[in-house]
Amino acid sequence: MPRETFDRELQRLQDELLVLGSMVERAIAESVDALKRRDFEASRRIIAQDRDINARRFAIESDVLVLIATQQPMASDLRALAAILDLASELERMGDYAKGIARINLMIGDQPLMKPLIDIPRMAERACSMLRRALDAFARRDVALARAIPAEDDEVDALYNQVYRELVTYILADPKNIDQANYLLWAAHNLERAADRVTNICERVIFTVTGELGELNQEGNGIEDLPG
Amino acid sequence: MTNDAKIRVEHLNFYYGDKIALSDISMVIPDRQITALIGPSGCGKSTFLRCLNRMNDTIPHTRVEGRVLLDGVDIYAPGTDVVDLRRRVGMVFQRPNPFPQSVFDNVAFGPRVLGLHRHHDLHEIVERSLRDVGLWDEVKDNLRQNALNLSLGQQQRLCLARVIAVQPEVILMDEPCSALDPIATLEIEELMRRLRENYCIVIVTHNMQQAARVSDWTGFFWLGELVEFGPTEVIFTRPARKLTEDYITGRAG
Repeated sequence: MPRETFDRELQRLQDELLVLGSMVERAIAESVDALKRRDFEASRRIIAQDRDINARRFAIESDVLVLIATQQPMASDLRALAAILDLASELERMGDYAKGIARINLMIGDQPLMKPLIDIPRMAERACSMLRRALDAFARRDVALARAIPAEDDEVDALYNQVYRELVTYILADPKNIDQANYLLWAAHNLERAADRVTNICERVIFTVTGELGELNQEGNGIEDLPG
Repeated sequence: MTNDAKIRVEHLNFYYGDKIALSDISMVIPDRQITALIGPSGCGKSTFLRCLNRMNDTIPHTRVEGRVLLDGVDIYAPGTDVVDLRRRVGMVFQRPNPFPQSVFDNVAFGPRVLGLHRHHDLHEIVERSLRDVGLWDEVKDNLRQNALNLSLGQQQRLCLARVIAVQPEVILMDEPCSALDPIATLEIEELMRRLRENYCIVIVTHNMQQAARVSDWTGFFWLGELVEFGPTEVIFTRPARKLTEDYITGRAG
């Protein structure tokens, strides 16, 4: 093959992206787990690790630009590199959501949770599962899988709506709950956004394979479905 | 890209002796656009280019089938004035080939052949043609200098001026930058983008980045066949055929 150097470098960048993806996935799962267990130490660690995620994203971005400049990729090669650029920035933002949830744990501070967390960890689980499979779809150039995943976003949206309604009842029952309810809603919102970004990743998988750019999920997200 | 067809090629076959070099090529080349032909060596792209102004006529034991319509008229029809055809469809070659004469005489050559001899008229044409190719300011003080004293990039622009001087409608370019350095290459490319406003341009190039940079349409040739033809941005980002993809990503050819 006359493109061995390029192919090797493209593969390496794709592997780097998958490593970044698994770091982000772990950050999301652990941020919610730390919130659930009220583990401040773990939350501080997640906040610190976000710097590694950002650094990796910049490294990938810079390597992609070097590869474009030095190898002049075309067609599917160019699309793959464009997708890696895009995915790296999506992942970095998802990492920020995890960091946000870690901060929320610290902000809630010593006060006990007003209720055990059930739906928020479920949201995290769904979002992580979607993310893992979306990156798998990218690695395997699996268009069918990429098309199937965004439908699961509806489940995350439904959970988000449920969390919202539940938190509202706590606020109504005792206005002293407002602060914590707001924090928890914020955490849920971050997870809802994270799942949305998985849809963007799936769109890029399809673009990489077919060259078609388009929205996969025209449905509204959770907050738009809410009354008022 | 709604420009009218300048050249319409219909089921073109071309033979060197018994050997078929082009097989069933059909293509519409739009006016005032740049069409690039790419493909590996020996794929037939230069042969195809030379079919567009009957340059292949000069090669013995060759044969053409099918039609090449210039503004709707078949250039291979009996009675075609080939000299006039080559005035309307000019050509620039791989290596700059100015005549060993003055800059002025190079550009005035075509108009003189066509019967123009008044110095004032000739000077006007020479100046306009040299301005069109961005060479006027570089040579105006010494139009009598020998064209071979110019740099290669200037020589190639001079050859373009020589083509333009006879007011062609189509400009064919066969690897016009392959002998030039990168700066001279970019100058020719910029020039092509300007000339595109007034001419139909067809370029054969080995340099895919060049095809991607300058052209509006790209045709990919492979073993004498036109594999794919379409808007350049589509060919270089999401070609329809696997063979095109393999070629432009450097995995075939």
